[in-house]
Amino acid sequence: MGERHLNRRGMDSFDWCFLSVIVSILFLGGLSLYSVTSDAQGSGFPVYLKQTLWIGVGALAFLVLASLDYHKLARWAYVLYGIGLILLVIVLVSGKSSRGAQRWIALGPLAIQPSEFVKFSLILVLSVYYATRVRYGWLHRMVLPGLLTLPGFLLTLKQPDLGSSLSFLAIYVTLLLAVGVKSKTFGLVLLSSLMIFPFAWGELWGSLYEYQKERIISFVNPAYDPGGKGYHGLQSRIAVGSGELFGKGLQGGTQSQFKFLPEGHTDFVFAVFAEEWGFFGSVLLVSLFLALFLLGLDIASKARDLLGALVAIGVVGMIAFGVVVNIGMTLGLAPIVGIPLPLMSYGGSATVVTMAALGLLMNVKRRRLTLLPY
Amino acid sequence: MKAVASIMNTSSEGPDARRRLVVCSLLLVGFVVILLRLFFLQVIQGPELANKARRQHLKVITLNSSRGAIYDRQGRALALNLDVPSVYATPASIEDPAETARQLATVLGLSPWEVEERLRMKRDFVWVKRKVTHPQAQVIRSLSLKGIELLLEEKRFYPKGTLLSHVLGFAGIDSQGLEGLERGYEPYLRGKDRKVILQRDGFGRTIIPRGRGEDSVLSGHTIWLTIDEVVQYIAERALDAAVAKTGARGGTIIVLDPQTGGVLGWALRPTFDPNRFRAATPDLWRNRAVTDPYEPGSTLKIILAAAALEEGIVEPGTLIYAGDGQMPVSGTIIHDHEKAGWLTFSQAMERSSNVAAVKTSLALGKEQLYWYLRAFGFGERTEIDLPGESKGILKPPENWDERTLASIAIGQEIGVTPLQLVSAAAAIANQGWLMKPYVVQEIRDGQGELDWVRKPQVHRRPISQKTAAILTELLVNAVREGTGKRARIPGYRVAGKTGTAQKVDPMTGGYSSTRLIGSFVGFVPAENPRLVLLVMIDEPQGPAWGSLVAAPVFREVAEQVLRYLQVPPDGAEKMTVAAA
Repeated sequence: MGERHLNRRGMDSFDWCFLSVIVSILFLGGLSLYSVTSDAQGSGFPVYLKQTLWIGVGALAFLVLASLDYHKLARWAYVLYGIGLILLVIVLVSGKSSRGAQRWIALGPLAIQPSEFVKFSLILVLSVYYATRVRYGWLHRMVLPGLLTLPGFLLTLKQPDLGSSLSFLAIYVTLLLAVGVKSKTFGLVLLSSLMIFPFAWGELWGSLYEYQKERIISFVNPAYDPGGKGYHGLQSRIAVGSGELFGKGLQGGTQSQFKFLPEGHTDFVFAVFAEEWGFFGSVLLVSLFLALFLLGLDIASKARDLLGALVAIGVVGMIAFGVVVNIGMTLGLAPIVGIPLPLMSYGGSATVVTMAALGLLMNVKRRRLTLLPY
Repeated sequence: MKAVASIMNTSSEGPDARRRLVVCSLLLVGFVVILLRLFFLQVIQGPELANKARRQHLKVITLNSSRGAIYDRQGRALALNLDVPSVYATPASIEDPAETARQLATVLGLSPWEVEERLRMKRDFVWVKRKVTHPQAQVIRSLSLKGIELLLEEKRFYPKGTLLSHVLGFAGIDSQGLEGLERGYEPYLRGKDRKVILQRDGFGRTIIPRGRGEDSVLSGHTIWLTIDEVVQYIAERALDAAVAKTGARGGTIIVLDPQTGGVLGWALRPTFDPNRFRAATPDLWRNRAVTDPYEPGSTLKIILAAAALEEGIVEPGTLIYAGDGQMPVSGTIIHDHEKAGWLTFSQAMERSSNVAAVKTSLALGKEQLYWYLRAFGFGERTEIDLPGESKGILKPPENWDERTLASIAIGQEIGVTPLQLVSAAAAIANQGWLMKPYVVQEIRDGQGELDWVRKPQVHRRPISQKTAAILTELLVNAVREGTGKRARIPGYRVAGKTGTAQKVDPMTGGYSSTRLIGSFVGFVPAENPRLVLLVMIDEPQGPAWGSLVAAPVFREVAEQVLRYLQVPPDGAEKMTVAAA
C-alpha cells in the first residue's frame, strides 16, 4: 500500500499546511488568553505569558517527537504508562488541591498535571498492544485493553476529573473501534460518531431530574456551578451570543473582561474567543480544528504501518474529543464536564502533551515513506 | 513484525475512497452541528443575548468633573469642591430591603418606607442619599449592608460661609449653578459631564471608574473676581455693625473701582450661608442690589446736578430761592426740613434742599432730565455679569407731568437698583465716563492657563470732564460742610451725597413715614478717586437720615479700605484745619 504513495507529491507543502493550522490555532488561543488575563490584578507572571512559555516547551516536545522514530518510542510505551499511573497515585496521595480537586503535582514553582501524560502514554500503549500481535476474540480485543485503560480512568475520576477520565474512555473506544471491527474504516466511523456522543449525551442528560444532575456534577466536579443553577452555562451562552456576527474586538469582550464568564482562560476560552471575534471568527476557528482533524485522519490512512495508523487515530481521537466536548459545553450542547480546549485553554501540561501528540502525528506522516526494516 | 503487516492488511480491506468519504462526512456532521449552534447563538439569538449582556453589567450614570473654583482678586478661594460620600444601592444584591431600609433610614434621618421603596426599584443603581456627612458614611460603612455602597462625589463648598454669598450664589446637588456667579458663569464653571458606565463584574461588585487622570482636562474653568476678600470683609463687618446698631431690617454696601467699573465689595443684609442655602428662604438668596429697584431719594440729586451743570442751567454760584422750605407743585407741597431763603446751587446741594432741586429740575425740563437719567444708566441694565438684573423703573417722558419732574428731582417716582446708582456716581468720579460694572476679572481653564481677561468697557460719557470736576467739588462741600459730615475721613477729600427715601407702603400705595431707607453714595479721594461706595440702610428704627445712619458706615468702610489699598491721603492739611 505504501508503494502506491511513494511519489514525492507535495510533501513539503503538506507539512507546512499542517503546521500552519496548528500555529494559527495556537495564535488565536494566545490572543484570547491575552485578552482575558493581560490586565489581571495581583502579582506574578501574567497567564498569557506563562502560556507562551508553555507553547515554547510544547514546540520543543513537538520537534522531539516528530524526529524520533515512533517505533522506538513504542518500545517504552508500557514503561511510560506505568510511570504515569504511579504519578496518578502520587497525585491522589499527596497532590496539590485546587478548587476541590486534587490533580496536580507540585514541582518547584510548577504544577504538573500527570493525567495529561497518562493520556498520551495510553495512546501509545493501546496502539502497541493492538499492533504487535493479532488480537482475536472479545477478551483480547476488548477486555484486556479495557483493563489497561481502567486504572487511568479510575484514578482520574477519583481526583475528581471527569473530563480527563472521559478522555481515557474516548481514547480506548476510538482505538478499539479502529481495530476491533473488521477494518480501520469502521473504527474511524465510530471515532466520528464519538464526536456526536456529547450531543446524544445532552439528550440523556436532559432526561435526568434536576437534583440528579446537580448531584452528579457536584460529586464529580465540585468546582463547577457553585453559585446557582446553570450560571456558568448561561454566562457562556450570553458571552458567545453577544459576540454576534463580528464580535466585540480584542479585549472588547465585556462578559469575559468583567469576569461574568467564569474560567475564561481555561475551560471557557472558546466563549472568550467567540465573544470577541463573533460568528465569522468562530467559524474560522472551528474550520481550523476541522482541518487539523481531517489532515490527521489523512495521515492515519496513509500511515506506513498499523502502529502508525493507530497512533495517529488515537491522537486525533483524543484531541477531537477535547475540542468537540469543550465547544459543545461552551455552546450549551453538552453538560459542563470541565475539559480544556486543546491548543487554546491555559494549562502547561495539556499544552505540552497536545503538542507532543501532534508531533507524534507528524512523525507518523514523515515515516510513511521510510521502508520498514524487514 | 509479520503479524503487524498481516493485521495491517486485514484492516485495510475495502475501498479507500468510500472509507475516507464516510469518515470525513461524519466528522463534518459533528462540526456542522457546532456551526449551526454558533449560527443560532450568535446570529439568530445574538441581538437578544447581547442585550442580556448589556443589562447584566451596564448602567450609564453621569458624573460631573470638578467644578471650577472661584477666587477673589488675590487668589483666595471663595468656592471650592469637597469630596463627600454619597450612598447608593444596587437593589438586586439586597437581601432584606425592609431591614436594610430601616437601618439606613435611622442613620440618614430618612423615612424607612421611602428608603425601602427605593431599594425595591428594579434598577441597577439608585441613590439612597447623596452627599451625606462623613460620620454618617462611617456608620454605614461599619454596618456593611449588602448592596449598599458609598462613593465620593464632589460637593460645592464655600469656605467663607456667608461672605459674598449674594454674588457667589450657590450650586445644587448635581453641582449645577443655581444662583449668582455660580449660575451666571455655569458654562465656564461646570466641568464636562462624564458618561460613566457603572460596571458590575461577575461577582456583583460595582466598579466605578474614577478617571482621575483626565480631570484637569475635563474640569471646569476657574473664575477670578475683582472683589477683594479683605474689602468684602470690611464692608460686611461694617454693615453688620450698622444694621445691629440701628436695628435696621437690612442694608447694602457696594464698593466699586470707578476707573474700571470693577466691583471691590458687595455686601447685603440679611444674608444666607450658601453651604446651607436650603435653610434660607429664596428671597434671601436674591441679589437685591441688582434685582430690586428702590426709590433713591436725595442721592439722585447728583444726577440732576450733573444734568443742570452740563446744560448750563446752573453754576455752583447760581442763586436759587428756597423760600420758607416748602413749595407747591401740581397740587402737592415739596418740603425742606429747614427754611433756607436764598441759596447758591452749591449750598443747595450741601443742605440737600428739595425746593432748590425741584426748581432746577423744572428749569431743566423733562426731556433733558430723562436724557441724562438714561445717559447715566437708569432705566437700563448695567450689564454687570451677575444674573437677574433689573432695569429699574423709569417712565418715558411722554408720561411725565410737572409733578413727575419734581418727584424725580428728589429721587421719587423712579426706581433704581443700588448698582445703577453707584455706577452712575462712579461716572462722576471717572471724569464723566460711565463704565460697565463687573465682578469677574479673568477666567482660567482647568490647567490654570489664562482663558479670558476682562477689559474695562465704557458704556458712554454723559457729562464732560469739566462738569464732573465741578460736581465733584459740590459733593466734596456736601461732605465737608453739609449733610455728609459724618462721612469725612481724616486726610482724604471725600465727595458724596446723602439720601433719605420713604418706601412706598404697599398697603396704601402712598409713601410711608416710618419705613425709610437712609443712604450715602460717595467717592474718595476726590481728585483721583479709587473707591466709589454706596451704603444703604433699610428701615432703621429711629432716625433714618442718610446723614445719620449711612454716612458713618461709608466713612468706616472707606477709611479701612483706603488704608488696605495704601491710597495716599490727598487733603491732609485742609482736614486737620477743618477738624480743629
